[in-house]
Amino acid sequence: MKKVWEVYPLRVAFASIPAALIVSALAITLLPPSVSFWVSGAVSAFSAFLFVAYAWGRHAGGLLVAPAIALLFCMNIFPLLWSFGLSFFHYRANRLAPPRFAGLHYYEKVLTDPVVWDRLQVTAQLVVLTVSLQMIVGFLLAMLFAKQFPLRRVLLILVLTPMMLSFVAVGAFFRYYYEPTFGLLSQAVRVFTGEPYVLLQSTAGAIAGIVFADAWMWSPFVMLLVLAGLVSVPKYLYEAASIDRISHWRRFWNITFPYVRSLLMLALLFRTIEAFKLFDVVFLLTEGGPGTSTETIAVYVYRVSFQYFKTSESAALAYILLFTVIVLTNLYLYFANQRNRT
Amino acid sequence: MKHVNTLKAVAGGTAAVAVLSAGLMSAAPAYAEDVVLRMAVPDWPPTRIMKDLFDKSYKAKSGNNVTLEPDFIPWPDYYTRLSGSLTSGEKRYSMAVSDSQWLGAFIEGGYYQKLNDAIDADPELQKIMESLNPALVDAYSTYPHKSKNYYGFPQMPDVLVAYYRTDVFCDAGEAAAFKAKYDAALPCTPEEMNNADWDMVQKFGEFFGRKKGENLSGKALDDDFYGIAYQAGKGYDFSTMQIASMIWQHGGDIWDETKAPTGKAEGVVNSPEAVAGFERYLSLLQYMPPVVKTGTMDIFKQDELFREGKVAYMINWIGFAESSIDAKTSKVSDKVDFAMAAGLKESDGSINRTYNIGGQPFVLMTWNDETTNTEALEFVKWWLSAETQVAFAKAGGQSGLKSVYEDASYNDFRPWNHAFGASIGNQKDIWHIPEFFELLVQQQAEFDKAITGQQDAKSALDAIAKFQEELLQETGHIE
Repeated sequence: MKKVWEVYPLRVAFASIPAALIVSALAITLLPPSVSFWVSGAVSAFSAFLFVAYAWGRHAGGLLVAPAIALLFCMNIFPLLWSFGLSFFHYRANRLAPPRFAGLHYYEKVLTDPVVWDRLQVTAQLVVLTVSLQMIVGFLLAMLFAKQFPLRRVLLILVLTPMMLSFVAVGAFFRYYYEPTFGLLSQAVRVFTGEPYVLLQSTAGAIAGIVFADAWMWSPFVMLLVLAGLVSVPKYLYEAASIDRISHWRRFWNITFPYVRSLLMLALLFRTIEAFKLFDVVFLLTEGGPGTSTETIAVYVYRVSFQYFKTSESAALAYILLFTVIVLTNLYLYFANQRNRT
Repeated sequence: MKHVNTLKAVAGGTAAVAVLSAGLMSAAPAYAEDVVLRMAVPDWPPTRIMKDLFDKSYKAKSGNNVTLEPDFIPWPDYYTRLSGSLTSGEKRYSMAVSDSQWLGAFIEGGYYQKLNDAIDADPELQKIMESLNPALVDAYSTYPHKSKNYYGFPQMPDVLVAYYRTDVFCDAGEAAAFKAKYDAALPCTPEEMNNADWDMVQKFGEFFGRKKGENLSGKALDDDFYGIAYQAGKGYDFSTMQIASMIWQHGGDIWDETKAPTGKAEGVVNSPEAVAGFERYLSLLQYMPPVVKTGTMDIFKQDELFREGKVAYMINWIGFAESSIDAKTSKVSDKVDFAMAAGLKESDGSINRTYNIGGQPFVLMTWNDETTNTEALEFVKWWLSAETQVAFAKAGGQSGLKSVYEDASYNDFRPWNHAFGASIGNQKDIWHIPEFFELLVQQQAEFDKAITGQQDAKSALDAIAKFQEELLQETGHIE
C-alpha cells in the first residue's frame, strides 16, 4: 500500500503550511521567545523541505529560482508585512514591552498631525521644483546630444557621471561647494561682490541649493531616456517635413515630441517617485534647516523611527507614503494611457 | 536530469561539510578562560588610546586571556549604529561607550546594566566612585538623574575650553591697537585669557574680524579672518551644548528632570533670564565665519576652521585639541594655546562658568554572562586606576579621578590640562530621560531658526517651552 505522501506529495506539502502556522502560533504563545523562535524555524523548514522534496526531479527550474524567491521573501516581503502589522500596534523598537493592539490609532494620529502636513508641503515643493528642473535640463541635454558633433561620446560620458555617484558623495561634494569660507561658489561670487556668499542661510537659498544638487545628479537620467526616444525618430519624417517647409516648432511638436512623449512620462514617473523619497542630499546639505524649512517627509520618517523610536507611528507614516506614491503612479499611468489613445 | 544530479552532488557536498564542521566544533576543547570584551566605541583619539594602552599593558588578574575588541564607529553615525545594534537584539556588545544623554532611553529599553550590586560588593569600585568628580558621577552614571542608581563609569570626561592663537593675541602691535580702541589689555597668557568674559569675547570678535588684504599681526591676510567661533550647528546637540551653558550662566534654566513631576517647562525654559542668555549667544554670531549663518557650524566645522587658521578664538571640546597641535593636521599647530572657556562676569567680579558637560561613560550590558561581566568590571577597575589614568592623560586623554587631575604634574602632560581641572567642577548636563531625542531635535530646530535669523530668542524659547510642556505632560514627566 502506498503512503499518502507518495500519492499526493503536493497536497501534503500544502497541508503542511497551515500545520506549520498553527504550531508556530502555539509555540509563540506558550513557549519563551528563545525556544519558540527555533520551533517556528524548524516547522517552517520542514514545510519548505516537503516542497523541495516534491519538486525534486519534477520541477528543476522552479527549484533553482526558489532560493532567490525565499531570499526575497525573508529580506523584503516579510519585513514589509511585519512592519505593516506593527503599524496597528503600540510598539517601540527600543523597549522590551510587547506590542499592544492599537487599531487605526497611529493612522489617525499621523493624518491629523500638523507636523506631517508641513513636511509633506516641503516635500511637494521640492518635488515640483527639482523634477521640473530635471525634465527641462534633461530634455535640453538630450536635444543637444541627439546631434553629432566632435567629442560627443566623451562629453556624454562626462554628463552621465553624476548619476553614477553615490548620494552621500554628492551631498558631501555640494556641502563643500556651497560652503562660504572654502567653497567654490562663494569664492566665485566673491570675485565680483567682495563678500562671501552664503547660499544656505535662507529658506529659499536652502531649497535652491538642494534642488540644484538633486537636478545636477538626476538630469542625466532624464536625458538618457529622452535620448533613446530622439534617436528612434525615423529620418524620413524630417526629410518629408523639410520638403513641405514645415516650421521648426511644428516639426518638433508633430514629429519629435510624439516619439519621446511616453519616455518623458516614464522619466517623470521615476523622478517623481525618487524625489518624493528625497533624503540623502537634504540630510547632508542642510539637515532639514534652516529650522525645519527643508525637512522632507523622508527625513521626518527617519527621525520618528530611528531617533524617537516611535516604531508604530513611523510604520503608519511610511505606509501612508507608500500609498500616496502608488496613487500618484497610477494617476500618471492613467493619464499616459489616455494620451496614447487620443 | 543532469541538473538534478548536479544538485544532488552539491547538496551532498554541503551536508558533508556541515557534518564535518559540526564534528570539529564539538570535538574542540572548550577554553573557558578566553574572554572577549567587545565594545562599541566612537572612533576618536580617546578610544584609540584606550585600545593601545590595553594591548600594551593589560593583564587580567584572574589569569583569563582577556582581549578588548572595540568596534570603532565614526561619531556622526554612532548613535544610530549603537541603537541599531542594541534594539536588534543581536547582543553583539558586552560594553559600550555611551553619551550620557542616552542613559534613559537604553536603560528603559533594558540594555544597560544597573551596577549598584557590583559596586556594593566591591570595595575597590566603591573607592573609585568616591574619588571621581561628583559632577561626572551625576552626569555619566545616575538614572534617574542624580539618584543613587548607577549605570556607568567615565571613559573620557570632556569639557568645553577656549582655543586661541598666540601669534594673534600675543602680538605687540595688535595689543597696542586693542588697548587704543578699548582701553583694555589684550590677553596673551592662559592666566590672562582665563579672565575673559563674554564682553571681552565680543571685543575679540569685533577687533579680529579682518578682510582679505588687511593686516593681521603685521602681515597682509590672503583670506578673510574671523575673531571668534563656537558651536551653532543644527545636527545632534551641536548648538544646545553652548546655548544651555549660556542660559545657565545668565541665571536661566532648562527643564530640570530632577524636579519632575512638579517642575514645569513653560515659564522655566522661556524665562527672561533664559531669553537673555540666548540673546547673548545670538549676539556673538555676527563675528563668526559666515558658515554660521547656514546653521551648519557644528563642532567639526569649527575645528576645521580653526585648524585652517581662519579664527582667532574658539570654544570647543578638549577632544579636538590633540589634532590642533599636530603639524600634520593643523596649520596653526605651533601657535595655539588653551584657557578656560569664557563665562559671564558677575557683580562681585567672579566669572560664572557653568558649562555643559562633555565626554562619555562606559556601560555594561544586561545580557553579559558572569565571566564576561566580572572581566568587564576588572577592566573598568584597571582603566580607572591612577596608573592607567596617568598613562591615558600623558597620551592626550583626560581623567575624572580627583587624585590624578588635581596633581600638579597633570598640567604638564598637555597644554590644555590646566583648563580641564579648573573647569570640571562647573559642569552640568541636559536631560537623560528616554524622550531626550525628541526634546533635542525640536530644540535644535528652533535654535536653528534663531541662528539663521528667522526668529528671535524669545519666540524660539517660547516654542521650545510649549513643545516640552506638551510632550512631558503626555509622557508623565510633568503633572
